Order: sequence, then C-alpha cells, then structure tokens
Amino acid sequence: MADTVQEFVFNLTFPFSRTLGSTISTFCSAMAQGQIIGVRIGGQVYAPPLEYDPETSADAGSDWVKVGPKGTVSSWTWVPQPTHLHPLDRPFAFAFIKLDGSDTAMIHVVDAGSESAMSVGMRVEASFKPVEDRNGRIDDIAAFLLATDPSLSEGAGESYEAPAESAITEMDAYCDLTFIDNASPTTTLWANALMEGRIIGQKCPQCERSVVGPRGMCSVCAIELDESHIIEVVDRGVVSNFTIITPVQYHGQTETEPFVRCSIMLDGANAVLAQQVILEIPASEVRVGMHVECVWTPQNERSIADMDNRSRGSGGDAIVGWRPTGEPDEPEANYMDRMM
Amino acid sequence: MAPTENDIAIVGFAQTAPERRTRLTEADLVLHATRAVIAEVGIDKSEIGFTVSGSCDYLSGQGFSFVQNTDAYGMVPAINESHVEMDGAWAMYEAYVRLLQGDIDVAMAVGVGKNSNSDPSTLFTIEFDPYYLAPLGTDTWSLAALQARALLESGKATERDFAEVVVRNRGNAKSNPFAQVSGDYSVDELLGADYVRNPLRRHDLPPTTDQGAAVILARGKRAYDLCERPAWITGIDHRIEAHLPTVRKDITTSVSTKLAAEGAGAGKGPIEVAELQAPFSFQELILSESLGLDASTEINPSGGALAAHAVMAAGLIRVGEAANQIIKNGRNRTLAHSTSGPCLQQNFVCVMEGDR
Repeated sequence: MADTVQEFVFNLTFPFSRTLGSTISTFCSAMAQGQIIGVRIGGQVYAPPLEYDPETSADAGSDWVKVGPKGTVSSWTWVPQPTHLHPLDRPFAFAFIKLDGSDTAMIHVVDAGSESAMSVGMRVEASFKPVEDRNGRIDDIAAFLLATDPSLSEGAGESYEAPAESAITEMDAYCDLTFIDNASPTTTLWANALMEGRIIGQKCPQCERSVVGPRGMCSVCAIELDESHIIEVVDRGVVSNFTIITPVQYHGQTETEPFVRCSIMLDGANAVLAQQVILEIPASEVRVGMHVECVWTPQNERSIADMDNRSRGSGGDAIVGWRPTGEPDEPEANYMDRMM
Repeated sequence: MAPTENDIAIVGFAQTAPERRTRLTEADLVLHATRAVIAEVGIDKSEIGFTVSGSCDYLSGQGFSFVQNTDAYGMVPAINESHVEMDGAWAMYEAYVRLLQGDIDVAMAVGVGKNSNSDPSTLFTIEFDPYYLAPLGTDTWSLAALQARALLESGKATERDFAEVVVRNRGNAKSNPFAQVSGDYSVDELLGADYVRNPLRRHDLPPTTDQGAAVILARGKRAYDLCERPAWITGIDHRIEAHLPTVRKDITTSVSTKLAAEGAGAGKGPIEVAELQAPFSFQELILSESLGLDASTEINPSGGALAAHAVMAAGLIRVGEAANQIIKNGRNRTLAHSTSGPCLQQNFVCVMEGDR
C-alpha cells in the first residue's frame, strides 16, 4: 500500500506578554515618544540601555542619555529575501549603528533601497513610525534611512529625564513558526493501519512485550522494531489511568467543558494507548479497570491528516473514541507492571 | 600516562549518517547512535551509570521531545539520566563532571538534532534577546554576516580567506564517511556565487543536517577494559560572553574561546589536530586565532561543521572526531571545540591526550 502520510505541517504560535523591568520600560516609553536613549555606565554610554554593567554585573543605574537619531554604520549585511518575521517586506540591510552620543552600536535595519548604497561609515537617521502606530518597542523605528544631513545629531549625549512612572511596562512577544515534519516509517505503518480500521503493535523479540502506537522501538530493551515485528492488536481494552481536564481557554483550546483523557491497555498488549477519548458516559463515571471498545469513524470519513509523529498513539480522526462495554471491571492485578 | 581514578577518557564514539532530511524521529536517531556506540565499546547498557543528552525542542517543533528521546535508552529498571538544552558537547561536560564524583565508572553523552523540520532563517530569531533583537526578526545568518564584515573591516581576513576555509573543509570531508557536503571546489568558483547575507555566500553557511551522535566516557582503569588507547581528557572548560554582539568589545576575536582554551590547558603542549565547530566559514579563522593555533595543527580533518551541522550534535561530533584521532589514528594530543549563541557567544574547549 502506498504511504498515506508523508508530511505534517504545523505552526508553533504562542503569545507572550513580557514585563520589561525598569530599564527596558524606560527605553520603550522613550521610544513611544520618538526618543532613543542609552544608559551611562562608568564612562561608557550603552544604547540600547543595559540593566547591568557587562563588565562587572553591577546595577547599571539610571543615568539616561539621549542618543541619535543619527548614527554611523559600523557593520552591515543585506537581506535579499525578507521573511515574515523581518520588519520590512523589501530587501534591506541589518546594521550595527553607533548612534550619536553612544559608545556601543544598536542592531537595527537600514532601508537603503539597494545593497550598493550600503557602506561602513555611512551616516543614517532613525525614521520613526507615526505616533499612533508606535507600541513602545525597538521597532517603533520603522527603519534607519540615509541621513540627508550628516552632521551630528542635536542634543545627542545630553541627559535624559525619565518620567517617574514609565508609560510602557509590557511588550507582546508573539512566536510564529512553521514546522514541516515528515512521517517516520513507523508512523506511516500505524497511520495506514488506522485507515483500514486496524490497530497494530510491535512485539519485541527480546523481552516479548508488545507496544502499540508508532514507536519503532522497545523502550525496555532499547532495540529497533520494524515491519517484521508487527502484530495485530484487538480494538478492545481496559482503562488503566485517566485524568479529568477542566479546560482553560488558552490560545488554541477548543474544549469548553471538563473532559476525560485516558490511557487504555489493549487486550494482549503491554503498553498503553494514551490520550484517548471516552464516549457515552459522563466524565464522573470513568474509572480505572473499565472495559472499553473502539468506536471507529466510518471508513470513508477517516482522516489522519491531523496526526503527527509527536502525538504518539493518537488515532487522528480515524478513531472517534472508546465506549464502555458494560463488562465487569478488570481487577487491578491484571494490568499492573505495564509500560506507559 | 598512568591514569588515576580521577582521570576520565572518551572510549567510544558513534554518529548516524548525516542527512539533509531524514524520515527518522529524534528518538530514532538517539537509538541508532547509542546502540552503535554501545556496540563499539562492547558493553551492556546496564553498565552505563549515567546518561545525558543535548537537544532542543524548538528544532523539531516538538514539546518535551527530549522526554520521548529517552525511550531509546531502555529505562527499565530506571536509569540515572539528565538533559541539557545545548549541544551534546555540553552534555559530555556534564557526564565528565558526574564521573568525577567517583561513584560510577561509565557514562554516555548524546547529542541529537532533527534540524530539517524548521527553517534556520526564522527559527533562531526566538533564541535571541526578546526586547532588542527578536522584534526585528534578527536572524542568525544576519548576525553572523555582521560579524564577518567586522572581520573584513579589521583587515584580518578577506572574502577569499573565507572561501579558502570552505575549499579545505569540503576537501577534507571527502575522506569522512559521515560528511554531508564534500568535494573539490576552487576558490574562484565559490567567489562567483551570490550572497545570501553579504558578505556571506551559501557555502559560508552551515548545511542543514539531521543527525545524532554519542560518546561513552570511562573513569580510571575501567577505560582500558573498553578501549585499547583511551582519549584522556586532560583539560575541559567553557566560557560565555555578553549576548548582544554589539556589547562585546571586539567581535573579530573570541575572548571566551581564549579563556576556555587557557582553562583547558590547550597551550601546555602542541595540538596535533583541532576539530572546531565553526558553523560559518570565517568563524574558523576567529577561532584558530583565539586558540593560538598555527600551521602545525591540522584543523578539521573531518570537514568540520561545514561538512555536516546538526545543531545540538555538531559540537559533540567534534569531540568524537578529536577523540578518534587518539583512539584510532595514533595521535597524542588533540582539541575539540563547540559553540553556542550568536556570533560565537559561548565556547567549549576540550583537550585530550593518548598514552605515550
């Protein structure tokens, strides 16, 4: 049979809201006002400001200094094909920019139009976003542009009086990454079997334990298991453990009511199928030792598109869940000492 | 050298074949690497007193991937295990320290990276400073290129020097069965390629690699049961600098590498072979200078990180390659280096010696 799964595409997205601490709050609040600042530590001005002296780790203090908006490029590179994470959607430069009034460089982007416009020593000037688009972040500077007037920035190096209370104390940080995993050989075997309404396991030739789900190895003996070790496993078993989850409405959570996820020890197997759904009874009635049987999605509606190597033992959309059979509960002794 | 019970050696090393994109999972890669090194050393897994791995969930995009990876160790009965979210070289450092406690004789360190699941031009942005770098999408290639231009501006190297590093490493890689990129190239041919991040061209960047590796370490006389000529670790150290490259006084040199080399006693004798994890070609020049290496040291006979670069395994592979120069090639004194963070922020140096 041809492979039914080749690749799994998934996004890793999570929204963080970071608190900024006093130094970065002061910097970000100034940015929202269109002012870039650094901090003087000993005789050196660091911009952007640091919380600690990088030499001694002493508190950097709050001797704020106005820097820029113009500066000098001390190194640069060119990004010919920006990604969705870059601030500009056209080719641009990243540069070390030593802002007027600072002793260290800031890393930022230069919207230079073309690579040939870039050179070490060139003078650039911060171009802030319109006030209403600023969020109090380093990217409130939309980009640095070639300075029309190369003279030193007015006011650079002067002290900056920070307000007693920072206007900006938090920053949204949103991770958005795409991953493309490919189905492992064992995952493909597992997924193909599910599409046929079969549950397969692999029997270790050394310890003779049977594992279920796409594992590809015996986690007791640490040896590889392949197609030659496959066994058919019945689609009936015993709940060996469970948890009732009260959903918190975090990003991506679709459940709204308390729900059960359980581990099922399939009859004849030595390892559980984890994270399974129990059907037909309320969460409060689920118990360890309960006999259950598999409820399959009708064959023409089955999909394993949402499966991946990560959710080991997941049934994708091929398995709806498990329903109690009504048989007397299995004594504990009969399903102890098995693998997770 | 007559080892004391506090001397610790690498006695075996194995790696999986590096692939641009494997169908195997990280756990599979760990299984293959650990089974190979256990077979090479000829022990039963029950003789391993401590197991530690280095890997990163973000590379494969799988939360707690390192927990599933432990399936590959066979943990019945329960084993003594640890994990670092760093290259396996640092896992090996932890294994070394663990052996120094003196209550166990054998340890195993693993490094594994399934890098092909993610896009290196975006992934590493989340590794960087969340306030000053991440909002700009500052990527690892761009930061390396900014360091490369600083090196050019300093007058210490030219783009031709970068290409020469690539030509030599790819040439060396021809004799390494575990190389992903190898072959004969000319400097002029390489210099004709487009920039990916000016002044870096594709060949100046590391390949994307899926790979696992493992070493076995042994303490005192136990090493001789497992290996005819152990690679004794005579010095090991790692140092870290400021995260923001612009805060470091001079990024055309590596202060942390220099200090780690001093800590590991690299200068106490000639280094015959150095295996350096320089993911970007020009970084080999910075590292060589910071380590004080000269023409008497053969650098990266394996082809180094330009021949295969699974992030989280590539540093441990440098350790294994440098150890094998003693175990299998009769060399007397070798050095392994690993790095982490933007622009060589953190550096690890390990010096090994064979019995004379």
